Amino acid sequence: MTDDSQGGHAVSDGELVELGRSGDHAALDGLVRRHHASAYRVAISITRRDDVAQDVVQDAFIKAFRALRDFRGDASFRTWLMTITANEARVALRKRGRWSEFAIDDAGPIAIEDPDPAEQAVTGQEASRARALLETLPEKQRLSVSLRVDEGLSFREIGDLIESTEGAARVNYFHGIRRLRELME
Amino acid sequence: MSQTDCGTIRECLPDFAAGRLDDDAGNAVTAHLPTCAECRAELELIQMLLAAPPMVPAALEDQLTTAVRTSRQPTGRPWWGISAAAVAALALGIGVSTDRPEAIDGPVPDFASETGEGELWPSDDGLLAGEPSLDGLSDEALIELLEELTGEGAA
Repeated sequence: MTDDSQGGHAVSDGELVELGRSGDHAALDGLVRRHHASAYRVAISITRRDDVAQDVVQDAFIKAFRALRDFRGDASFRTWLMTITANEARVALRKRGRWSEFAIDDAGPIAIEDPDPAEQAVTGQEASRARALLETLPEKQRLSVSLRVDEGLSFREIGDLIESTEGAARVNYFHGIRRLRELME
Repeated sequence: MSQTDCGTIRECLPDFAAGRLDDDAGNAVTAHLPTCAECRAELELIQMLLAAPPMVPAALEDQLTTAVRTSRQPTGRPWWGISAAAVAALALGIGVSTDRPEAIDGPVPDFASETGEGELWPSDDGLLAGEPSLDGLSDEALIELLEELTGEGAA
């Protein structure tokens, strides 16, 4: 099978999880292919270190797959994986004693994806600046903005990831956006 | 457009900017934007963030696929059945003997190897909480673990 289609129809995450439970390697590969980027973005947003983030994502996938039998589907697999990733990232930070906020120069790698040359000349610099300034926000504001904008998570899902309530996630998001706008002016 | 409407629209802006909204919601945002400079400014910021996403290493997917597959491969003899004494000695800090130092020096065994055939992983909630660690366990807890391991090994 492939991760994207089986018998002509798109395979859902739930179907891949079921296949993965029965030992289908390709199904697990498919879950990695679909969700590794989101997991990495969560990890880099918390750890701000590429090498640490990659280790965190690896640990998160391995633990998620080990616990696949216990996954009940109350949340989507993606949200569940991202929650495990966030927990792993916090554990990694504790182990490294890097709880303190990083300077902006320590922020994770920034890239403009598929840049259009003409458009990039006008907006690329400001876009990179916005992303870099996002990294200066407190963790929960930074994560709330990143998870809402980059991953499209709901505030309830974000609350679960940042270990807060849905309301707190919403407040953190709007505080973060407001602060970013102030910093960009 | 009222402030209440603005609040609703602002919550939708990330999905609107990323093309994740359905038609009805998207049309509502499109209709609102010309009337509200605040929402336009916020949308512009969100679009800038989306234009500069964190870069995901190109090799990460392959690394993960390999790591996941490796982690699921059996390593041969059950870890607890063979090296329980060595692990217990390490945990208790009592060098019982040095006749099996290689069992201690090697990498931490993969817990996946404990599963039986046809079963992916053990149903162990503790795996979600973090790597099993012997650090910080009391003597009583270590003794209990030793007894558990010994019982497993003898089974």
